[in-house]
Amino acid sequence: MGACFFRIRNCGADFSFNAKHSPQIEGPMSHNNRNFILSYILLVGLPIAGLVGVLKSGRKLTAPVSVDGLWHLQVDSDRLAALPCGKALAESPDTALAISQSGKNFTLTLPNGPKSTASGALDGTALQASIAPSADWSAQSGCGNGRELSLIATVDTKADPRTLTGRLSINNCPSCDAVEIRAVRQTPPARKAAH
Amino acid sequence: MSLDLFKLVLQLTVILALCRVVGSLFRKFGQPRVVGEMFAGILLGPSLLGWILPGVSAYLFPPASLGFLNALAQIGVVVFMFLVGLGINPKELKNHGHAAVLTSHVSITMPFVLAAFLALYLYPKLSDDSVAFTSFALFMGSAMSVTAFPVLARILIERGLLRSRLGTVAIASAAVDDVTGWCILAYIVVLTRSAHSGTSIWITIGGIVVFALIMIYGVQRLLGGMETSYQKWGGLSENRLALMLLLVFGAALCTEWLGLHLLFGAFMMGAILPKEPKFVQYVLDRFETVTVTLLLPLFFAFTGLRTNIALVKGSEMWMYCGLIVLVATVGKLGGSTLASWLTGMPIREAAGLGTLMNTRGLMELVILDIGLDIKVISPALFSMMVIMALVTTFMATPLLEWFCPDRILRETMPIVPAQDPAVRALSTSADRISA
Repeated sequence: MGACFFRIRNCGADFSFNAKHSPQIEGPMSHNNRNFILSYILLVGLPIAGLVGVLKSGRKLTAPVSVDGLWHLQVDSDRLAALPCGKALAESPDTALAISQSGKNFTLTLPNGPKSTASGALDGTALQASIAPSADWSAQSGCGNGRELSLIATVDTKADPRTLTGRLSINNCPSCDAVEIRAVRQTPPARKAAH
Repeated sequence: MSLDLFKLVLQLTVILALCRVVGSLFRKFGQPRVVGEMFAGILLGPSLLGWILPGVSAYLFPPASLGFLNALAQIGVVVFMFLVGLGINPKELKNHGHAAVLTSHVSITMPFVLAAFLALYLYPKLSDDSVAFTSFALFMGSAMSVTAFPVLARILIERGLLRSRLGTVAIASAAVDDVTGWCILAYIVVLTRSAHSGTSIWITIGGIVVFALIMIYGVQRLLGGMETSYQKWGGLSENRLALMLLLVFGAALCTEWLGLHLLFGAFMMGAILPKEPKFVQYVLDRFETVTVTLLLPLFFAFTGLRTNIALVKGSEMWMYCGLIVLVATVGKLGGSTLASWLTGMPIREAAGLGTLMNTRGLMELVILDIGLDIKVISPALFSMMVIMALVTTFMATPLLEWFCPDRILRETMPIVPAQDPAVRALSTSADRISA
């Protein structure tokens, strides 16, 4: 069977491209049709069986914790304003974090807050990110050059909606106190499909 | 969110100008215009404009304005999917013998299965626990097994191969691929969306079956009446054309309401339209120009704005990207080549067919946009897949020239005596879409 499969071109099969229409059937099942069915099983059926196996074994895999979405930030605004760089953030009317996740890595924006670039990574349920204020933000809050906000938090995966608890601090500022933060996810991703 | 008309018109002007310029440049290098327009979209996004001129990018494309741009782009894609469906003639798919059936099915299963294997590796790295592995793997499979019907047809026209054995088999196989790919994608979308809506999946599936039956046994007859009217009067009244457009949007709304996606209804409406070549041509003439020259570039731009190549950072991420391109190419090009060669096609011609089937183009972008919308794929994976779509589409023309140089084509490749009606209609359609 296998040998004939690999020699379909010489097996007498005439379901080739020269035949515009399906070959004529001779008897209950012609030689051509038998070869076609055989090669179809090997080239299409077996891979599909493999696909079923892949889908089954893949269910055991675990992916990073989801943090994607919009998070409402709950923070003591007085303490936040006392931090270098924190004033502009504390003055934001409705402080939120928007996280766009790709596996363990994510980018973070402050939709209602000052402009910044931020990225971070997940390690299990631990989240770490650094937020680099834009030049405007730095000038406004007196951050100083090169200062960044650092966010270290833990994701509570059992809470519904998910929550983040952790600390927001300033890099290179030993005298600055870290501010406790809590964030609640506002827009859980609409995607978990049935298995 | 208020409409800033000045900003919207400014966006349209910039997008159209850049798409025309880059498309023309790509044409000079022997690439279909559509590849250049896809590339232009990337240039307008955070990968280039947002990176080198963030101020200009923020002024031109502020996040609040993108909703309107997206709405126009999506309307364009809905009409475009109707035109793609129009190019597919289910009856013609039956006329291509077992070999073409085998080739087309292998060209789906090989990349699909290889993509599922790749998903085992990528899921823990590029996804998260809100996405089920099954959805992730099936989406990767359907995204990798798609073929860009219009781009493929354009390449065949440019090489004078549309009427060749290679051309007719490629067109038939691509049509089978697209129909199958969209069916699989529909299944994934239903799975994903039904998990969050209160409606049972069986009610959704039942609704889709009823919708399909109404389309085939009800709406198709109505459309048949339109063809009769066209034959009688040599054209359709504005009222009838408006009715056709209403039916397209109505079908799109039905599939969206049923938990699928707007595009499935539009595609199905195109597929059930009568396939008499002159009638098809007439409908294409009416709907194509604005769609292809105005609305599709907006879709490319919107996709480009969502594509951030900066997310593919570090050697590890670029290795994932390389793996995606490799698996997509081996599965599609390799699978199609193997199947067609085993069933009697000479090796060069078989490789040419594999190359054509490996062209993903615009269809891939449409599928990826759906994947990002329903969040089955992450932004970084989306960017990698867009790169894969660009690379596989870009490589098609030079690879085809390499595998099947003109001299060999003229000497060895038989010409199919009469063009299929679908192919004939498609040739004009593809000519406009890609030219």
